Amino acid sequence: MALVEDPYALLEKWLKAREFIVVGKGIERADAFDKAIGKARFVEDYFDKGVLFVKQVLSEEPHAILEGIDYSEALKIPKVVGVFTAQDIPGENQVGYALPDQPLLAEGKVRFHAEPIALVAAEDIDAAFEAVERVKVKYKPLPVILDPLEAMNRTDVLVHEENGSNIAFRTKVRKGNVEEGFAKSDVIVENEYRTHHQDHLYLETEGALAIPDFEGRITVITAAQYPHLAQSIVARVLGIPMSKVKIVIPYLGGGFGGKDDEGPLVAAKAALVAYKTGKPAFLMYTREESLRIHPKREATIIHYKSGATKDGKLMAIEVKIIHDTGAYTNRGPFILWRASVHASGPYYVPHAKVDGYCVYTNKFPQGSFRGFGNPSVQFAAEAQMDELAKKLGMDPVDFRLKNLLRPGQTTITNQLLDHSVGIAEAVEKLAKKMGWWEKRKAFTEYNKRSKRYKRGIGIGVAWHGISTSRGVPDWSNAYIKIDKDGSVTVYTGIMEMGQGSPNSSHRQIVAEVLGAPLDVIKIVFGTTDAPDTGATHASRGTSIGAIGVLVAAAKIRERLNKLAAELLNARPDDIVIANGKVYVRGNESKSMTWQELIKQAYARGVDVSATGYFFLPKGKFDDAKGQGYAYPAYSYVAVAVEVEVDTYTGRVRVLKAYPALAAGRIINPVQVEGQMEGAIAQGLGYVLMEQFVFDEKGRVLNADMTDYVVPTALDVPVVEKPVYVEDLFKYGPFGAKGVGEMALIPVPAAISNAVSHALGIRVTRLPLTPENVYFMIKKK
Amino acid sequence: MKISFTLNGRRVEVDVEPNEVLLDVLRLKLGVKSVRRGCERAECGACTVLLDGKPVYSCTILAPMVDGRTVETVDYLASNGELKPLVEAFVKVGAIQCGFCTPGFLLTAYSLLRRNPQPTVEEVKKAIEGNICRCTGYQKIIEAILLASKLYAEKRSERKEG
Ligand code: FES
Ligand code: FES
Repeated sequence: MALVEDPYALLEKWLKAREFIVVGKGIERADAFDKAIGKARFVEDYFDKGVLFVKQVLSEEPHAILEGIDYSEALKIPKVVGVFTAQDIPGENQVGYALPDQPLLAEGKVRFHAEPIALVAAEDIDAAFEAVERVKVKYKPLPVILDPLEAMNRTDVLVHEENGSNIAFRTKVRKGNVEEGFAKSDVIVENEYRTHHQDHLYLETEGALAIPDFEGRITVITAAQYPHLAQSIVARVLGIPMSKVKIVIPYLGGGFGGKDDEGPLVAAKAALVAYKTGKPAFLMYTREESLRIHPKREATIIHYKSGATKDGKLMAIEVKIIHDTGAYTNRGPFILWRASVHASGPYYVPHAKVDGYCVYTNKFPQGSFRGFGNPSVQFAAEAQMDELAKKLGMDPVDFRLKNLLRPGQTTITNQLLDHSVGIAEAVEKLAKKMGWWEKRKAFTEYNKRSKRYKRGIGIGVAWHGISTSRGVPDWSNAYIKIDKDGSVTVYTGIMEMGQGSPNSSHRQIVAEVLGAPLDVIKIVFGTTDAPDTGATHASRGTSIGAIGVLVAAAKIRERLNKLAAELLNARPDDIVIANGKVYVRGNESKSMTWQELIKQAYARGVDVSATGYFFLPKGKFDDAKGQGYAYPAYSYVAVAVEVEVDTYTGRVRVLKAYPALAAGRIINPVQVEGQMEGAIAQGLGYVLMEQFVFDEKGRVLNADMTDYVVPTALDVPVVEKPVYVEDLFKYGPFGAKGVGEMALIPVPAAISNAVSHALGIRVTRLPLTPENVYFMIKKK
Repeated sequence: MKISFTLNGRRVEVDVEPNEVLLDVLRLKLGVKSVRRGCERAECGACTVLLDGKPVYSCTILAPMVDGRTVETVDYLASNGELKPLVEAFVKVGAIQCGFCTPGFLLTAYSLLRRNPQPTVEEVKKAIEGNICRCTGYQKIIEAILLASKLYAEKRSERKEG
């Protein structure tokens, strides 16, 4: 009998599993104990004596011609080993991810305050600091442009002259005919929304340690989210082949997308110094540098018009999205694409017109952050939904239920959703479980009686395409080997930043598929020693990322079943391997242990290693019209919150949050809850307290944790257990879609809709700091 | 200048600058890596250690101030069994994601439970207010501390009975 090795067939086979050994259980993560006792190693823990300290010289100007960099005084400090600028880069000084517009070190001009200009390397930290002070940079200041609306309309001041405009990139979605859609609408709502930047504020700042070896290779231990991307950027900057660069991503103290952008750059900076000096070099951002330099969640202006019929059917949307991309596009075009194709929210809309603009200004770049352009546009879309419901005299949930996407319907890119669309069911279940309708009424009544404190309840519903957008190729892979004693090692590029995909879900998937006991399975993660697995971003760690793990394990399992069938004299299909026990279904006396089986495999010439390459099938997408296959599947989420507003002070408190998730198979419910609770807290911080304050030159005035304030234990609400609808995705491992970003996405919508309900005032701007809320009430 | 103090049960002597902070002395000079650097401004709690039994931010304690005193870190208290119920509870309920904040939370929680073996939810929240966690949303951390309080109580009653 021929063995099944086809990845699609293997995925399909395991998708049909109905009984599970470890999948779906709250198995403890493999790294928890080491992290608790402080044994788990993060980047800084690899720093040792004899390593060069690297510090960055940052621009003091937001927009200026670089007329000269004089570092002769710095070199006079005895312990200073060197100063490196763009001139010293042996390869390419070009690190833009989407467009070639971003240098590693500024060249010719600077475009934002704190842009890195030079690297100083010294034998100790004090000398490095002193050297930075002594580097003299001569600037010729240029006019500064900070407002994206102004930037769009001006060509006399250009952030990038070569582009001829401050509009870096545009997107378009055209479905149906919006004029016709609005003509058929009985109610129309039109508003402008604004959202602000957010810092990831991972507790560990960015860092990298680069170590040259005697064979001319360089190993970089770095805080990144995609080892193979860091590898290619380092190789490009140094002008050496990728095979000469090895990346190791140890445990990260949080990532949230930020280290996907900045990680390869920190790695390249440390690697540059190591390459030039031949010595190990270590660069770690201070909190202040981290806040000033790395790309943030985009600030947006969204103009949104929508129409519906009197029986509550959405007819048309017309949306203009402006992203302030700052000095460089970074991943801006991808972020804008995501915002554009998700602009409707998870609703069926026959007529849609979306225009997106990614606009340069003299601020820090925008970048990847949990939600990736989606929280802001879902905030606008969901505010529109509440306003339409209000005009129609309908309950917000009832109105949504009439319009939520269902299998067989198309998105605004005209993509047919043929399966895995569980959101309507999830919202209905959630509303029933939490008593939405009763609560909404009770709060409205309460507000009639209460003068100072007002209560509101609001919901945000959102969707999020899994994997990269449009036709952008995406794949998965992993390598698994089993040693003679039965221990299993899995090599994956997916890394560990707290989300747990390698250390919980990957382990569970391998244990399920191989039948090996959990404690013999070791995941080697975040390494270029593994085949390219793609990034740990876009909620793909356990979805796309784990496909390779499942396929590799499934290949080995096929071979083991055949072997066990021979040994136990049964049919391969009747072989059960579970928790390290191998037996014949229905006859457990015919059995052997996992270890014996593997020993036999070695003795009888059965290969117990495999790779799990899988190429994700995608359809066509027409960029000019924004029509076609946008994502292989969407995860869906809803969060409802109860808030209380103190109308005397403007302070908003979120009392309770109720999440619902339609993200396919839940591999580990405890980890999923952790992602939901953490995302809700991070979203809450964004909406209620976190914001950057700029001066007139675009300098950040609050680049420390004293003034950039994030939630503490006293700020977060009780988060109820999530409602799950397991709407299996045919290419997901056991049907899993993504989870990591999900619960943050609807939080701005949910909180602002709840505040709008409490106050009877439409929230159109974030953040809802006490000051902003207070003035909102005053204005009314 | 030379200072000497008790670090994790052992007397250590080390040369420090007068303006050097305890965090750097521990990490860079004494090789204690379980103490983490998050903000260096007494805002996040990642660098928490116990100084004479009380949780402090080692990023703002000047090294000369610990001369003659006692410093304890999470690896030590975990290895001598003191933290076992807390570690168990954090692992069990899923209170650890990236884990960067965890040693700080464990020390803060440990000192809370010694002062107040049966804290309420509100007391737990107040006690950990000075520790930032960006991953978990705190809910499972609070749950873990409450569970640990029970586990410590069980341990105490076992000891009494035994
Ligand atoms: S590093 Fe000491 S409190 Fe943050
Ligand atoms: S687990 Fe990551 S900061 Fe707390």
